[in-house]
Amino acid sequence: MRPILSALLRNKTGAVLVVIQIAITLAIVANALFIVNQRLALIGRPTGMDAANIFSFFSFGFTPDYKAVPTIRQDLRMLRETPGVVDATPINLIPMTSSGSNSGLSLERGENVPVAVTGLYEVDEHGLNALGLKLIAGRNFTHEEVDYVDPEKDYTPPIIIVTQSLAKELFPGGDALGKTVYWNGKESSRIIGIVQRFYGSKYSGKIGWSALLPVVSTGNRTGYIVRTQPGSRDRLMPKIEKKLSESNRDRTIFGLNSMAKTVSEFYRRDRAMAVILTIVIVLLVAVTALGIFGLAVFNVNRRRKQIGTRRALGARKLDIINYFMIESWLMTTIGVVVGSALAVALNYWLAMNYSIPRLAWYYVPAGIGLLWALGAVAVLMPALRAASIPPAVATRTV
Amino acid sequence: MLDMTHINKVYRTDLVETRALRDFSLHVEEGEFVAVTGPSGSGKTTFLNVTGLLETFEQGEYRLDGKDVSRLNDNERSRIRNEKIGFIFQSFNLIPDLDVFDNVDVPLRYRGLRAAERTRRIEQALEVVGLASRTKHLPSQLSGGQQQRVAIARALAGEPRLLLADEPTGNVDSLMAREILQLISGINESGTTVVMVTHDPEMARYAHRNVHIMDGQVTELESADVHPATRQPSVGAADARPL
Amino acid sequence: MFFYNLRLALLSLRRNPVLSALMIVAIGLGIGAAMTMFTVYYQMSADPIPQKSSRLYRVQLDNWDPNKPYAPPDQAPAQVTYRDAVNLMNLHPGPMQNAMFRSSTVLQPPDETKPPFRVRVRATYRNFFPMFDTPFEYGGPWGKTADAQAKQVVVLSNDTNERLFGGEDSVGQRIKLYGRYFAVVGVLKPWRPTPRFYDLTSMAFAEPDDVYVPLSLTEPLQMQPGGIMSCWKSAGSDFQSLLNSECVWLQFWVQLDTPAQVAAYKNFLDNYVREQKKLGRFPRPLNNHLRNVMQWLDYARQWLGYAGFGAADNGVLVGLAFMFLVVCLVNMMGLLLAKFLGRAAQSGVRRALGATRAMIFYQHLVEVAVIGIGGGLLGLGLTWLGLRLVSALYRNYERLTQLDPTLAGIAIGIALVSAVIAGVYPAWRICRTSVAMHLKTQ
Repeated sequence: MRPILSALLRNKTGAVLVVIQIAITLAIVANALFIVNQRLALIGRPTGMDAANIFSFFSFGFTPDYKAVPTIRQDLRMLRETPGVVDATPINLIPMTSSGSNSGLSLERGENVPVAVTGLYEVDEHGLNALGLKLIAGRNFTHEEVDYVDPEKDYTPPIIIVTQSLAKELFPGGDALGKTVYWNGKESSRIIGIVQRFYGSKYSGKIGWSALLPVVSTGNRTGYIVRTQPGSRDRLMPKIEKKLSESNRDRTIFGLNSMAKTVSEFYRRDRAMAVILTIVIVLLVAVTALGIFGLAVFNVNRRRKQIGTRRALGARKLDIINYFMIESWLMTTIGVVVGSALAVALNYWLAMNYSIPRLAWYYVPAGIGLLWALGAVAVLMPALRAASIPPAVATRTV
Repeated sequence: MLDMTHINKVYRTDLVETRALRDFSLHVEEGEFVAVTGPSGSGKTTFLNVTGLLETFEQGEYRLDGKDVSRLNDNERSRIRNEKIGFIFQSFNLIPDLDVFDNVDVPLRYRGLRAAERTRRIEQALEVVGLASRTKHLPSQLSGGQQQRVAIARALAGEPRLLLADEPTGNVDSLMAREILQLISGINESGTTVVMVTHDPEMARYAHRNVHIMDGQVTELESADVHPATRQPSVGAADARPL
Repeated sequence: MFFYNLRLALLSLRRNPVLSALMIVAIGLGIGAAMTMFTVYYQMSADPIPQKSSRLYRVQLDNWDPNKPYAPPDQAPAQVTYRDAVNLMNLHPGPMQNAMFRSSTVLQPPDETKPPFRVRVRATYRNFFPMFDTPFEYGGPWGKTADAQAKQVVVLSNDTNERLFGGEDSVGQRIKLYGRYFAVVGVLKPWRPTPRFYDLTSMAFAEPDDVYVPLSLTEPLQMQPGGIMSCWKSAGSDFQSLLNSECVWLQFWVQLDTPAQVAAYKNFLDNYVREQKKLGRFPRPLNNHLRNVMQWLDYARQWLGYAGFGAADNGVLVGLAFMFLVVCLVNMMGLLLAKFLGRAAQSGVRRALGATRAMIFYQHLVEVAVIGIGGGLLGLGLTWLGLRLVSALYRNYERLTQLDPTLAGIAIGIALVSAVIAGVYPAWRICRTSVAMHLKTQ
């Protein structure tokens, strides 16, 4: 060990360069892996909906002859009667898109009361089933409780269904069911049901703080959520679009999308980030490995004679391999020690400037393990080559 | 031509201090052919490095061709090496990537000669050493003797005033060794001063004068007493015109 | 000497093809990664309207909640209310002003057999066109009377005209919007300021609007705002109360050519707000702002998390990509050092034959530069590939992932400079090594 260290110290610059390279690599890899995993966790979150079997679209009435209420009623009947359709609901806005409607919910009446910013989704009594939401407490809306409301009118439904996370925010004690809440401290609604989870818009206060309202807006724009039997979605989408378009010439159908695509679009940036960072990690690791490899090959070639002499003096092949492996291990180890500090510093900088969360501690040891393995693999081939240098090299002159 | 007086050269490492040249004095006349002998570790190589301006020294004075070169800076020493000194090494020191022509070209490039002039000199020098037909060969495609002849051509092409040879026959067989020595003698006869370091007394006999170095000092100055028979010029050297 | 050194460099690269390739690939990858991210960053922060960006000002008025700022610590809202926008326009303070917002509706083509389609509408005053230098293919902006009398006139984007009329001059034609006939008065040339600085609320890097109509039609047609609307106080849900509410959803711009005009206009705004305070509005302290285009973009980047505009991820990627480049350079430096030192004997011979240190240094630097250029060219190719990938991964990034000659130059420049930085030390080391050391044995 000591002779290897002193040999390293003699060729200081080369060793220092490898150490620097490994240190920066560790810093990048640990942070990038962390960000990738964090984004993948985001993308993998359940939305609460039966996202795989849902699609959505808007109907937009554009002529003076357009009549909202009969159109919606007719549409819903047609949708629900279509074979392969599990259920359908009108909705004001499509969840998991950049469009959202929010309001603040408070526990008491009054000006300037603290509110939880909540995403609002107006559905009828088929809403829960059409979205595939799981009711964990209370009950669904009944047909009689759903109101068709002119958007010009001020209207607050007397009852709402909220998500579990919103219920917990408002009532940490867990007794939200049956409680009355206030919209920005004014009009009140009573919580009649709690769903396990329902992700709304990007612009909600917190994703998952959503409320369902038993309301159907009679404006000229109506959204629809259609849930199909597994496997029927792609077949039904164009069919239903055509059928609805032809059924009523005073409106147009637009924004037809499967929920799977909508969700995928919602996480597009996160996925892009994960993909790019993964590529960066792979390339970086490859470059570093090739660098260590190239340097080792060079060192072996330069020390051919010295290695031959060692062999002539009785070193076994294993001793030669060990020599190079230990040399690489030493450099890697110094590199990862420096790199650990650098990784934490980089994370601190990212956290300060780009609101990246704090690095989970285990990413650093994971990176260290990766680089140790990398150093060993990269140097193995040159080391084997060194071991195969014949002892006779020692006696050759030129 | 070459005048060294009281030169000292010390190598220092952390642990040891080695005095390679101690109060070293030597005078070489213009046109002389001096052989320097001595056991290994005696300071021969250091002497050659100092003479060839490859290394500096601490004390003493060194005049080359009438000029004091003791305290020149690196660039000036490079220029003098390039213009006045030709080197022949034991291990040839040809550049493996370059072919014969380009190897001979190397010193001329650093002199900044025009292309036509360089070509003329290279071809002439290769003619002298008998390798005019091998210009496109790489060193690895030549025998040891041929490689050394390329090295001689490289030294010749620069038209040096002083030719320094360091064991020029150390890596070639005895037949080739004689040929090379004859080439060097020929160069000497056309007016170039030659200083040759060798451990082989047989080779030393080609010189006018032998200098023996021991422990970094000239211990023995021997006047030229050379067999006339060994002085016959070789075929190659006979072709050498005054350069 | 240069061509000699160039020849030596190529010879040397050929002699160790694997090592040379390794170095070129290393620097190429580094450049590719760094330039891909830098291009997006550069295009994102590019000036969308360079000829006027210093003279166009975004107006912010603070009509927000007395108890809570629009955004901490005390930011004024990014947009303005309908009534303030109309008031300011009607006061005619002198400089050219414009208020606008995005809406959407269905467009029925003149050919009734063709299906209607949804269009993005910009409701605006005619000043939009001269203020933002929009290029016209046919016709021009509508007249002042159209603004004053809420005439049903429309300016089409180039794409919309292409879709409806096959690119023909459609001025004078009629199309149906909001179920009514609109007369086409102008068609824009392809025009796509990036980012769409004048309204960052919806997809700042996406296509601009499809049709432009007078903002004075808002009331008669009940044009619903389609961008981001923020309210601090309940609006009341009928349309008229929305127009009279404290909800902000319009963008307001003014063109001010001199510092004196800026000062005068700021004064005008402050006076306006003081007047409004007398009516019981604007409960917060005076907090009006004028920001020119680049200041506005900086402000928006820093304070507003608008969709498609939060460039945080890009910042992270630029940072990491340049660190990656550093790793590649350190890598290259190590390989160069090993390579040069492995060849020290050759340089020793050259030195013995009369090469000065400078000449040896120069020789090695030329070699490094050749690697740099090779790496730069490879890096440029990889940048192109990388940008294609980024463009595919994100939405509406086509404009942000375009390489222009400036960026290509920057890529080669960075490659060259960084290669030389990586090469200077090894070249210096090799030219400083002792001459005599390598001559004795090879």
